[in-house]
Amino acid sequence: MNRAVLAALESLYPADRLLTRDVELLPYESDALTAFNAKPGAVVLPINEEEIIDTVRLCHQMALPFVARGSGTSLSGGSLPIPEGLTIGLNRLNRIKKIDPQQRIAVVEPGVINLHITEAAQPYGLYYAPDPSSQSICTIGGNIAFNSGGAHCLKYGMTSNHVLGMKVVLADGTVTQFGGESVDGVGIGPDLVGLFVGSEGLFGIALEITVRLMPQPELYRTVLAAYNDLGAAGDAVSLVVASGLLPGAMEIMDRLAIKAAEASVQAGYPDAEALLIVELEGEALQVEAEFDQLLGAIEKSGAFEVRVAQNEEERTRIWKGRKGAFSAVGRLSPDYIVQDGVVPRSRLGEALVEIGALKAKHQLEVANVFHAGDGNLHPLILYDGREAGALERAEALAGEILALCINLGGSITGEHGIGMEKRDYLPAMFSEEEIDIMQALRRAIDPNEIANRGKMFPGGEAPALSQHGMHPLERAGVISRE
Amino acid sequence: MTMYAPGSVTELQAIVRDSERVHVVGKGSKPALHRAVNGAAIADLSGLSGIIEYQPSEYTVTVRAGTPVRELNAALREKGQYLPFDPLLPEVATIGGTVACNLSGSRRFRYGGVRDFILGAEVVDGAGRAFRVGGKVVKNSAGFDLSKFLVGSLGKYAIMTELTFKVFPDVPRFHSLGFLYEKLEEALSAIYFVNQSVYELDALDLVPAAGNWKILARLAGFDDTLPQRVERFSAAMTGETETIHVEQQDDSAALWNPLADLSGEFLVKVVIPPKQIPAFDALSAHDRRRYTVGGNIAWAATDEIAQLDTALKASGLTGLCLRGAVDSAVIGVPLESVLADRVKQVLDPQNKLV
Repeated sequence: MNRAVLAALESLYPADRLLTRDVELLPYESDALTAFNAKPGAVVLPINEEEIIDTVRLCHQMALPFVARGSGTSLSGGSLPIPEGLTIGLNRLNRIKKIDPQQRIAVVEPGVINLHITEAAQPYGLYYAPDPSSQSICTIGGNIAFNSGGAHCLKYGMTSNHVLGMKVVLADGTVTQFGGESVDGVGIGPDLVGLFVGSEGLFGIALEITVRLMPQPELYRTVLAAYNDLGAAGDAVSLVVASGLLPGAMEIMDRLAIKAAEASVQAGYPDAEALLIVELEGEALQVEAEFDQLLGAIEKSGAFEVRVAQNEEERTRIWKGRKGAFSAVGRLSPDYIVQDGVVPRSRLGEALVEIGALKAKHQLEVANVFHAGDGNLHPLILYDGREAGALERAEALAGEILALCINLGGSITGEHGIGMEKRDYLPAMFSEEEIDIMQALRRAIDPNEIANRGKMFPGGEAPALSQHGMHPLERAGVISRE
Repeated sequence: MTMYAPGSVTELQAIVRDSERVHVVGKGSKPALHRAVNGAAIADLSGLSGIIEYQPSEYTVTVRAGTPVRELNAALREKGQYLPFDPLLPEVATIGGTVACNLSGSRRFRYGGVRDFILGAEVVDGAGRAFRVGGKVVKNSAGFDLSKFLVGSLGKYAIMTELTFKVFPDVPRFHSLGFLYEKLEEALSAIYFVNQSVYELDALDLVPAAGNWKILARLAGFDDTLPQRVERFSAAMTGETETIHVEQQDDSAALWNPLADLSGEFLVKVVIPPKQIPAFDALSAHDRRRYTVGGNIAWAATDEIAQLDTALKASGLTGLCLRGAVDSAVIGVPLESVLADRVKQVLDPQNKLV
């Protein structure tokens, strides 16, 4: 990082919040897409929104590319540093400024951890609905950048559906506000919250966010059904939907994912080719009635074992296995890539058969864990980065899975975003003109293209090197996946 | 004023390219929006109509923007599904106009608004380019979400020609109750009680009622449990809030049409957080009002638009006028946004779309 830039940063930050030494930068070199890493020029750790605004303005003036980063849990390389650029770590802006249970809203800073909102809302019988598997560490700022989803998005939507208002600093240093405390959000005039959420950090940084809270359901009914065949589990989803039910979540795991989850958290899952988890939630009387209907549908689906969570402890155990599946797969393989393409729900079975054929072709193992209710696949492609050419084969397989999703009429990403990882596949989903328009929009907001440069759009400079996939801290022996 | 009725996207593109200014109209159900168009060419989109693809098992439907809401609702009802954002003017509006103005009825309370159910769109922008935004599956996070940006955009950034929505299964039975309160504050407390309770209401409105305030609550569900749920909810409301009277209401379309009793020259939508209702209501007490969606959207009908405009400005609120002779449909605090301006630069650099 050149002297002038460094001097400018030194004028904004004390030494303990301006990191430049290799050992300090190490934790920031990678995010949850561990196959890539890059060394930032510096990391700054602002403690208030004025510092963020000043930093973005400085970056704009000096044309210094920056990445805003929360806990670094992006699965698409969204928070991967820009080589020699600035990483703005937002974890210290972690105040929940207001909980208004009467209006069911919370006002939070970007570094607030997703689950902490729910914890703060709990005493009032409320919770924050979007629940990415990383919810105990991921931050709301990152959730906004990537419009994060989770297992419970079928009924109440993703992050975008839960943000009512925000104050942001755009990439050129302009500070602006939109939306507010009404559940109608922006309400009159274009929905700017909807535009900003999911913009992958390319428009700027959210400084203050108003989210809606939901009343905690009175009753959950969680069912685990085991199948001898992955296709039968997929068909069960169609049966549940056809019965007119709207479950809070519908998840499927295949044999490999089950095995990993068992080894990791001992969820006590049955030995099966596929597991389906369906959860109903809501008013007790209604849920009980729906539950009978659900069991009827599942009976018809050919499950060889059906378990119903009898209490909160059993429910938690069912979910623990599912939510821990990603990290659990880390036990089976030194490295993995996870995709999150979407296919129309009715074509899930077809997609799974195709993925099976593709893994055979590339001689790789794939564990499938997915949000079946909305057709959102999560194939985890296992490989060993120490083996020559393995990463390349894994990436080729990942690319073919994305192409498959598009061919089936779906999307290349349901909730992880394009990020660094899938930028070369954006043209498979959008025309040249559509991408041109998106790029023009980006430049209208960020003329220097400094905000999260190298993400979402194909081409451009390569921000990172691909390498063997341990997290830099893992390589340094600081953390482990066990 | 030149009138066009494009029969295809290509024709619409040509109209945009060849005109200096273009203003879009569907069925004209919100006349206040079509007054100050300054001689712009009028593009009537009602010819771009019809359901393109409806897959009940996918919970998705794709329609042309000029499709009457009535037609779309009927097709969904046939399969036991509905648009949970509850289009406001189901008998007269087009779906494109509903999205462009972001107009939801009372049932928006249960699952969300237009923004929560739009998945994607085909548009023609101010440069005459036809392109797609968003996706067609229930979950998609690829690219910038310009489809949500279109919600409430009033036709000023791009003209929607095709829309894809997420739909949900509907329930067969409804039951409506009215709870009467002496004071506005008591009625609002009752709303706050509901907000933190386990009762899942289909709709929750607040209306002034002959010196008192009435909360209209609607429960929806299946035959076998609905009566019990109604009883339980009613008991909780009378037990926990200062209710002076509970009445059974006929669950009719008229009861849940928020505009049914709002006569007056001007009709205005106001986006309002519930806690701002007392201050706003004191300033608009001479107008006919109804607060829908748990008190998050206000509807006001008035003969004195200037007074309402002043009241909105004093409360820091913006209103959208749907009916009446106004110079600008947006009243109260003006819509100004640097971010929206940047989008305008890209989609409509010549400021053609008005």
